[in-house]
Amino acid sequence: MDRSQLAKWLKNPAEMANKYSLHAVYFCTGCGIIEIPPVITTRWDAERFGIKAVATPRQGNLFMITGYVSLKTLKAIIRTYEQMPDPKYTVAFGSCPINGGMYWDSYNTIKHLDKYIPVDGWIAGCMPRPEAVFIGVTHLWTLIDKGKADGYIRYRKNYAAYRRNQEMLFGDLGWPPLHPSESPAEEASV
Amino acid sequence: MVTRIIQLVLSPVIALVVAVLFLGLSRKIVARIHRRYGPPIYQPIIDVIRLMTQHSISHGALFELGVVFALAGSLVTVLFIPLGGTNAPPGSYPLAHGLLCPLSSSGGLLVVIYLMLFSPISIALGAGASANPNASIGVSRKMLLALAYELPFLLVILAIMSHYGTISIAEIVSRQQDSAWGVFSVPLAAVAAFLILPAMVGIRPFDVVGAPQEIASGPLVEYGGRYLALLTVQSGVHLFIVIALFVDLFLGGGVNVVTFLLKMFAVFLAAELVSAVLPRVRIENALKFCWTWPTGLALAQMIITVVSR
Repeated sequence: MDRSQLAKWLKNPAEMANKYSLHAVYFCTGCGIIEIPPVITTRWDAERFGIKAVATPRQGNLFMITGYVSLKTLKAIIRTYEQMPDPKYTVAFGSCPINGGMYWDSYNTIKHLDKYIPVDGWIAGCMPRPEAVFIGVTHLWTLIDKGKADGYIRYRKNYAAYRRNQEMLFGDLGWPPLHPSESPAEEASV
Repeated sequence: MVTRIIQLVLSPVIALVVAVLFLGLSRKIVARIHRRYGPPIYQPIIDVIRLMTQHSISHGALFELGVVFALAGSLVTVLFIPLGGTNAPPGSYPLAHGLLCPLSSSGGLLVVIYLMLFSPISIALGAGASANPNASIGVSRKMLLALAYELPFLLVILAIMSHYGTISIAEIVSRQQDSAWGVFSVPLAAVAAFLILPAMVGIRPFDVVGAPQEIASGPLVEYGGRYLALLTVQSGVHLFIVIALFVDLFLGGGVNVVTFLLKMFAVFLAAELVSAVLPRVRIENALKFCWTWPTGLALAQMIITVVSR
């Protein structure tokens, strides 16, 4: 451990532990997932930064969406995101979740992921190299340090708007709102 | 009385510290075998702090009680296992101290056999309350695996008990310190116990219970946040118990805590080296393996012991 970080650890252990223990839920939506095995195995070894792949959303705090998001997977993404415990961070990987990428005129994919769930960081590229993942992670550390990786707070605050966007696509989502009592006035206006 | 209270506190503390250390070491050792740099040794501590501060989702009282029972059962088991020290008069060994085992006079091996089943059953209880299909598969695998290793384990224990003529672990340890280690006097039982060690601990090749790639980490699938933190610590303490029992029964315990922990580390390293290079077996293969080689060896040891008495 870096000696200079000891003061930070004593001051805010929860935030520092969140920073250095990113357990990632990889959502294999598209071709982007092919870059993840090299990242977490021998060649690039993400585990030295405390990043580990976990199998269930209950255990993770980093949500990586790797590749294009079709309408069908978006529903699963929303469910998975809502199952993860706070605090949680979302990173969109590749250019498809940013603006549609090569699927910019597809009838069946989402062009802007952050309309439906909050995204804390983006890794641009088609495909991003594993090095780009590490740069993304170090940027995420900086954001956590500055308190700007607040996607889960934004989701709770603007839940009505996110839910409205989700329902515009799917009609009835099939499950009750995650934060029903947060903003009753907006809920009523919808 | 005061020594007893100190021992009652000290044993679980040693178990917890060493358990977390072993969890970190196992990740580091596996990483080095994969030619990776690996996480820092204190990574499990960071993980546990992170999990403790996360919001956790509960599925009812039984879901929470299962975690508490599992950890409590493991910590109670530690009290029955000698963690180094000797009953010999002072001065017979250099750097020796009194036996560190708060409940050495009661129960012995029979109690340990029962208590070691307590934490798997508690986890099964808690995971069952979550009503997740993956958890149900994990629980059924856990029970089958327990069935697989309990048969050779009981035969090994029986062979040792009939060889030394006692059920007290403290007595067995002091007999080994006087003469030969168990690994030389009951060699086949020692081999059988080492073969089922990965199954008892739940590491590769017998990590069928928690298989993350197949059944999304099995019984732990719905556990997150502070429940998962406690279960992580529990799995470490369970690892500690199994290896400590192996050292006590076959490697003569230790005249003090330091030698005991060094022997434990040697056994742990051997088990990790095996587990790091092997793939996962299927549950029926695990059952078949446990009921042939370890059971056969333990049975042979028992026959030899009974005939030679």
